[in-house]
Amino acid sequence: MDIKKTALAGTLESSDIQITLSQGSNGINIDLDSSVEKLYGDQIRKVITDTLSAYGIDNANVKAVDKGALDCVIKARTMAAAQRALDTVDQPDWEVF
Amino acid sequence: MEERLRRTMMFVPGNNAGMVKDAGIYGADSIMFDLEDSVSMAEKDAARMLVYQALQTQDYGDSELVVRVNGIDTPFFKNDVFAMVKAGIQVVRLPKVESAQMMLDLVKVVEEAENKFGIKPGTTHVMAAIESAKGVLNAPEIAASTDRMIGLALSAEDYTTDMKTHRYPDGAELEFARNMILHAARAAGIAAFDTVFTNMNDVEGFKRETEHIHELGFDGKSLVNPRQIDWVNKIYEPTKKEIENALDVEAAIEEAHQKGSGVISMNGQMVDRPVVLRAQRVIRLAKASNLINEEGEYIEK
Amino acid sequence: MQVREINIHLKRNFTKWKKFLQFNEIQVFSEKETASIDKTFVWEDNGEILATGSIADNVLKYIAICSKVQGHGETFNSLVSKLENEAAMMGRFHLFVFTKPQYSQSFQYVGFHELAKVDQGVILESGTPDVHDYISSLPHFDDQSNSRIAGIVMNANPFTKGHRYLIEKASKENDHVYVFVVSEDVSIFSFAERYELVKAGTRDLPNVTIVPGKEYMVSYATFPAYFLKDDQNVGRFQASLDGTLFKEQIAKPLNITRRYLGKEPYSKTTDVYNEELSRVLPPDVEVKIIDRKQAEDQDIISATKVRAAIANDNIALVKKYVPDTTLEFIKNNWSELQTRIKEGSIK
Repeated sequence: MDIKKTALAGTLESSDIQITLSQGSNGINIDLDSSVEKLYGDQIRKVITDTLSAYGIDNANVKAVDKGALDCVIKARTMAAAQRALDTVDQPDWEVF
Repeated sequence: MEERLRRTMMFVPGNNAGMVKDAGIYGADSIMFDLEDSVSMAEKDAARMLVYQALQTQDYGDSELVVRVNGIDTPFFKNDVFAMVKAGIQVVRLPKVESAQMMLDLVKVVEEAENKFGIKPGTTHVMAAIESAKGVLNAPEIAASTDRMIGLALSAEDYTTDMKTHRYPDGAELEFARNMILHAARAAGIAAFDTVFTNMNDVEGFKRETEHIHELGFDGKSLVNPRQIDWVNKIYEPTKKEIENALDVEAAIEEAHQKGSGVISMNGQMVDRPVVLRAQRVIRLAKASNLINEEGEYIEK
Repeated sequence: MQVREINIHLKRNFTKWKKFLQFNEIQVFSEKETASIDKTFVWEDNGEILATGSIADNVLKYIAICSKVQGHGETFNSLVSKLENEAAMMGRFHLFVFTKPQYSQSFQYVGFHELAKVDQGVILESGTPDVHDYISSLPHFDDQSNSRIAGIVMNANPFTKGHRYLIEKASKENDHVYVFVVSEDVSIFSFAERYELVKAGTRDLPNVTIVPGKEYMVSYATFPAYFLKDDQNVGRFQASLDGTLFKEQIAKPLNITRRYLGKEPYSKTTDVYNEELSRVLPPDVEVKIIDRKQAEDQDIISATKVRAAIANDNIALVKKYVPDTTLEFIKNNWSELQTRIKEGSIK
C-alpha cells in the first residue's frame, strides 16, 4: 500500500517514541534516534518494519525519535502513523490490531 | 456479580505512554484508561492504539481493567468499543449516561464486537458515569439496565455545571447525587464510585471528602494521582475490632460447614446473611491492607 | 500543569505572555518577530504561566520554561512534542529552531540536528525532508569531487544583467556553478517567477545549474533573532550563521570551493553580510567578491533600481538593467507588477 501523506504519531515524552512516516521508493528506511540505539536499535527497527508490513507498506521513510518506548508503544505509534499516512484513521485495520 | 474491592479507580490518560506503561505498579483496585476527556481530538486514534497494545502486553496485576470510551454520540465511540473488547478489557465505562437506553445501545455494540472477534458473549462488563441531573434522576433504571453492569460513577465536574453550581469544599452540592447514585447502585447490587478530587495540593480536603463518602457507603473513589491510593486505602482500612469480629464470623461459618449444618451460630446466636456478607467484605479489606497474616490472624501494627 | 492555546494577538494575553518571557530572558518582541506566529501554547498551573512555545510557519519560537518547574527536561520534551504535533496537524513536518548555543543539546536530545552554530546562536532542524534529502535532490555531476565547483546565492528580484554578469564570470572560472535561488516568497517577484527568469537568462551556459535554495538559503533578513540581546549585532549574527550553514551543510557535500558575491556599493547591511561571509567561509570555501556590473553609462545595475523603474512607469530604464528574457516577462506583466509594488506585496 502506498503512503498518501506524511504523518506523525507519538510524543517525545519519556517511555514514548515519535514516528514520522513519509513516502519512500526504496524499501523501508528508518532513521532512528535513540539513546539505547546500540542495545535495542535492531529490535526497535524490527517492530517498526513488521508493523508497517502488516499494513502492506513496503516503501516508506521513517524517522523515529525514541525516548525509551516498550515494544507495545513502538507498535502502537507505528500503527497510528501508518493509519494517518494511509488516510484511514476512521477505519482501523482490525487485522493489524 | 463477582464481589471485589473497588476502593480506588485510578484515571490514566490514554495517550500518555509512560503512565499507561506504569499504571500497574501502584496497586490500584481498578485502573481506568481514559480515551475521552484527557485525550485531544487529534490523538483519539493514537490513544486507542496505545491502550490496546498495552492491554495486550503489560502486566497490570490484580487490578480490574476499565476503559472510558468516548461518548455514544461521537465518531470515536464504535471504534473505541471494538478495540477495547478485542483487547479483552474487563469493563467499558460509558461517559455522560442519562438513560437505561444508552447502556443498552452500548451493550449492543459490545455484543457486536464480541461476536466479531470471537470473544465469549457476556465477557465484557460495563459501567455508567453519571454526569447530569437527568442521569442522577434516572440512576435506578441505569443501574438495572443490563446484567453486564458492575457500577455507577459520579462525575462531578459536568454534573455541577449542569446544576448551575460548582465544587465546594463541603460537598453540599453533591449530596443528593451521591445518595441517589449510591441507592441506585445498592438496589441493583452493583458498585458505586465517587468522583475525582483534582486539587493535589489540598490533601486534607481530599481525606475529608474520602472519609465522607466512606461513611455514606461508597465502594471507593476515582483518583487522578497514584499518591491518592494510599490515602484512600488508609481510610478504608477496617479496625482491629471489626477484623477480629469478622474472623470470628468466618470461624463460625467454617464450623457450621464442618458440622454439615446449614445454620451458622456464634455466641449462641444465629448469624444472619448481612453479617456474613459484611464479615467477608471486612476480611477482603483487611487482607488488601495486609492486616491479616497467612494463618488468618490479625497483625498488630 | 495544563496546556492550552492562547491568542497572543489579544492584548491581555500578549501582555501576560510577554511578561513571562521577559522574566525568562527573552527581550525582543518586534512586529517582525511576532507577526508570523500562527499558534502559541502555554502550560499553566492555577492560571500562572510556567512554560510557553509558539509556531511561526515552520519555525518553533519563543520557547521558555520557568526555572521553578520540576522535571525541567520532561517538560521541555512535552513542550516540543506538543508543538511538533500541532505543526503536523497543519501539514508541517519539517521544522527549524533558532536558539542560544547552550540550548542546542536539549533540542538535539529530541531529534533535532544542528545545521550551523556560531557564538551567539545555532540553527537546528527536525523532521522530514531534511538537509540530506535536499542535497540528494540536487543534480550531481560526474567526477564531482575532482571538479572546481562554485556556488552563488541570489534572490534575483528580478534577474538583471548584473546577476547574469556574476554567473557568467563564475561559469568561465569553474567547471560547474550552482546558482541557489532564495525560495522565500517575500519579494515582488514570486519564487516561481524569479526561478524561471534566472533559468531563462542562463540557458546558454551549460555548466550552470539553477536550483531552489529551499529553507537552507534563507534570506538573512528573515532569520529569527528574538533571543538575542538588544545590543548584539543582529545582522552580523545572521550573516555568520547563514555562512556557516552554507559551508557545513551545502558546500561540503557538493564540493563547492568558491562562493561568488556581488559587491554592494549602496547597502551597509549587504556590506556587513559580505564581510561576515569572507570571515566564515575560508579556507574551505574561497570568497570572490565581484564588482557590480555597470551599464554603458556607468550606472550600476541593481534589482532595486529595476523595481523603482517599474513603479515609475519607465520601461526604457528597465530595459537598460535586465536581459531580454526578464524584459519580456516584465512587459507581459507590467500592470500586475506595478500593482504589487504599490501594494507592497508580496512585500
